[in-house]
Amino acid sequence: MQTLIDLFSGNTLTLLVFFPALACVPLLFFPRGSEGAVKVYALSVSLIELALGVWYVAAHMGADGSFPLVRDPVIPWLPGFGINYHLAMDGISMPLALLGIFLVPIVFLGSWKGIDKHWPAFAAAMLLLTTGVLGTLFAWDLFLFYIFWEVMLIPMYLIIGIWGGERRIYAAVKFFLFTMAGSLLMLVGILWMAWSFKNLNGGVWSFAYEDMLRLQFPVQQQLWLFAGFALAFAVKVPMFPVHTWLPDAHVEAPTGGSVILAGILLKLGTYGFLRFALPLFPQASEKAQPLLVTLAVIGILYGALVSWMQEDMKKLVAYSSIAHLGFVMLGLLAFEQVAWEGSLLQMVNHGLSTGALFLLVGMLYDRRHTKKFAEFGGLAKVIPVFAFFLVFSSLASVGLPALNGFAGEFLILAGSYKTLGTATVLATFGVVLAAIYLLKMIQLTIFGPLTKEENRGLSDLNLREIAALVPLCVFMLWIGLKPETFLKPSRAALEATLAQFHQGAEGTAVADVTLSPDPNKVAALDMEAGR
Amino acid sequence: MSRVDLISLLPEMILCGTGIVLLMLEALTPGLRRAFTGLAVLGTAVAAWGAWHAWAHLPEGYLSFNGFLETSRFTYALSLVVLLATGLCLLASQSYLRRENILSGEYHALLLWCACGLLLMLRATELLTIFVSLELFSLCLYSLAAYHRRLAIATEGALKYFLMGAFVSAFILYGIALVFGATGSTRLAEIGQALGGASSVPVTVSLGFLMLVAGFGFKMSVVPFHAWSPDTYQGAPSPFVAFLSVAPKVASALVLYRVLESVVTGAPGTAVKWSGVVAVLSVLSMLLGNLLALVQRDIKRMLAYSGIAHMGYLLLAFVTLDRASLAPVIVYLLAYVLMNAGAFTVITLLYNRPGEHHLISDLSGWGYRYPLLGGCLAVCMLSLGGIPPTVGFIGKYVVFLNAVGDGLVGLAVLGVLASLVGVFYYLRVVYVLYMQAEERQPEGLLIDVWGRAAAVLAALGTLVLGIWPSGILQWLIETTAAR
Repeated sequence: MQTLIDLFSGNTLTLLVFFPALACVPLLFFPRGSEGAVKVYALSVSLIELALGVWYVAAHMGADGSFPLVRDPVIPWLPGFGINYHLAMDGISMPLALLGIFLVPIVFLGSWKGIDKHWPAFAAAMLLLTTGVLGTLFAWDLFLFYIFWEVMLIPMYLIIGIWGGERRIYAAVKFFLFTMAGSLLMLVGILWMAWSFKNLNGGVWSFAYEDMLRLQFPVQQQLWLFAGFALAFAVKVPMFPVHTWLPDAHVEAPTGGSVILAGILLKLGTYGFLRFALPLFPQASEKAQPLLVTLAVIGILYGALVSWMQEDMKKLVAYSSIAHLGFVMLGLLAFEQVAWEGSLLQMVNHGLSTGALFLLVGMLYDRRHTKKFAEFGGLAKVIPVFAFFLVFSSLASVGLPALNGFAGEFLILAGSYKTLGTATVLATFGVVLAAIYLLKMIQLTIFGPLTKEENRGLSDLNLREIAALVPLCVFMLWIGLKPETFLKPSRAALEATLAQFHQGAEGTAVADVTLSPDPNKVAALDMEAGR
Repeated sequence: MSRVDLISLLPEMILCGTGIVLLMLEALTPGLRRAFTGLAVLGTAVAAWGAWHAWAHLPEGYLSFNGFLETSRFTYALSLVVLLATGLCLLASQSYLRRENILSGEYHALLLWCACGLLLMLRATELLTIFVSLELFSLCLYSLAAYHRRLAIATEGALKYFLMGAFVSAFILYGIALVFGATGSTRLAEIGQALGGASSVPVTVSLGFLMLVAGFGFKMSVVPFHAWSPDTYQGAPSPFVAFLSVAPKVASALVLYRVLESVVTGAPGTAVKWSGVVAVLSVLSMLLGNLLALVQRDIKRMLAYSGIAHMGYLLLAFVTLDRASLAPVIVYLLAYVLMNAGAFTVITLLYNRPGEHHLISDLSGWGYRYPLLGGCLAVCMLSLGGIPPTVGFIGKYVVFLNAVGDGLVGLAVLGVLASLVGVFYYLRVVYVLYMQAEERQPEGLLIDVWGRAAAVLAALGTLVLGIWPSGILQWLIETTAAR
């Protein structure tokens, strides 16, 4: 009990993870019809959470500008199985966690009018989702990771299914089943690893991330395990050809759902590769590299081409996500420091720019109840503020220098070119295509003649909507101008992971599963010997 | 018969006595019927205390009544699981019985005696004792299944259950006779010794044990002995199904394990064969149960098939037939009792035409009309689907962990794929509750505080044990290890 109190009574990750979930409890007691109060409450909770997140990061930021690995106290959770409640944050999870927390108040602002029923349930789902996302990012124990990974599903399922469009149930169930199918096989993989560890460790269980890293499997077994993990993450990213749930989910989800889905949920797939699939099974990753790179490039080109063909703004943005995440995957698969930095930055970038685009589409939809290009045109004359934000976000998404997308894509392409020449060249066409389809969207909606009478009376963005967009745009510009500020905190963590990866990949292939010595114990022994 | 022997039988005696008292009260003061639920729950609670008392005071490994009853701790742990199911069922029953105007002492007495038979069977180490307790609870189950006697559908379901059950009883008896004929004993331990470590067993013994497997497979409703369960569930009183769908399965699973354990320890050479039999039953149940549940529109039938699938997962833990597999089995059973009994409790309260189909679509939009009950049902469904953070996930986790550890990775993968199919139909209930417009006006529902308490208890247990499983899990595992 005392540990529980300690965990919640300081500047801890536990508080950060569970504050949103605990804040759901008062939502049960809001009387019917007090939607306004619920909205204000939800927004305040999300802002407090943002403050907590910033406070935590600021308190632990290293003096040299890099973010170290910070842990919460580890407490046994299922001691019989060696499962610990073990949260930690490092330079890789830090930017993604901040992005996730940062998007929640924006989602609430953006959903103010768009969500027209069951607001307490919506707020609760969003806050529980935040808990799930943060837990997934901080889990330092594979079992815990799996739990949080699955916990994220239910709120997102409800968000799509309750507040979504016409085919919402189809989309929600498809989303759930695709993700669940991937992750269940990962569960078997996790169990397999835990058993292997137990057998080599004198019968003592562990699911700890650092212990799992010590396991060295023969290549054949690595490939099976990698397949289980990679499928779970590839569905989430989503990579071609398991991407088909994404357009459905995005098109049917309410604006807030789309923002959070594109903004942070998809990143957990790429995060999973970076944190688990690649470093845990390095030799299998190298073997699977050609296949995965091919799929990533197909994703980039296919996503871009399909986006180009869309006649619906939301579908265009949805398919563009497949292309953008393809870039991130390409960077990760290059196994190069620069490309990895670019990938991590691009994860954040995509969250910001695509989040903004989904918000803008939603704002337009709130006014006109359509998302078809054919219904618009010449909007710049009627709603100039909207037009400004749309152009700004689109250019950021295209990768215009001085905006964030450029920094990320440039680093990915520059970093991958060395090892993945052909693929990088092909992927570069994706950048061109991105310019084409996003400019097409801009041209068809806000430029050109004002053809539709209905559009003349449109009201421009109000203060609340601007308040939701401005923070996103500020960061797009900031990252674009000073990417180093955002790259530096993660550099050391990425270097460490990459070193771990190369060490495993270049190590000799083993005939049977082995366990490398515990680095902590080795250090302790060295100390003793030295003394 | 010493004092220790009597203590070992404390829970059974309390249950039996409470049943008799209730029957007397029914005859003498029928006006007090509304209080019967309370009395029966009290009796169950005292029986639970009795089980705890016996657990705390009996020497570990003691065999009472000349070795006919085992008193090891995990049998009492399982007794508590059965009593939990009994308690939840009793709480859920009152609103149903009052609504249908069939509230009486007999119902409660039969239920308590049924629990008594189950507890006895959990402990029995001798085939005839097993058979007698089996008959005790089976006869109670048959009459309870037909309890709503004005309903044709109830009579039909109960008759099917009875006819097949009687047939199966004969099967079990015949199996016992064959085993006794070949080994000269009905005590499981002696049967094992009589087989004398042989690498193979006589045909009569194999046949006898196969018959026992079929018999208890029937009680657990595993494929291919499952055909009775959907019809019986559909017609029987919903609160009673909360009991029927869990408690007999708990006891039968343990007996199945005991029986197979005796033959496997007696003749280790046959272990592979018996593992194969269990594996086939497990795979068939997982696949068929889930696939057939997928097409059900009636929620009770859906849960009947889902129950078949769950017994398939359970058998997955049995495949290796070693002592280590008992712990996951008990954990799974506890999880299953909570979530399934919770689901049937909510069904009892939200459906009021027992003679008709309980369509899933009848719940459309009711998640908002009945936030508490809808929430409980949703939690139970997610738990049945094995989604964290619920106890259903913990149950699946320990079972699959056990399977992977025994090198049955293929079976585990099959299991998770089957459970993916399961997720589809459990989610359907959730989306009907929250994502569809209301279709049915609530009329004639009787939602009482007892029923609500049962639903909340089950759902809360599902969540709490899912989020904080360490205490109970550790305890259950220790009880099996201590044996």
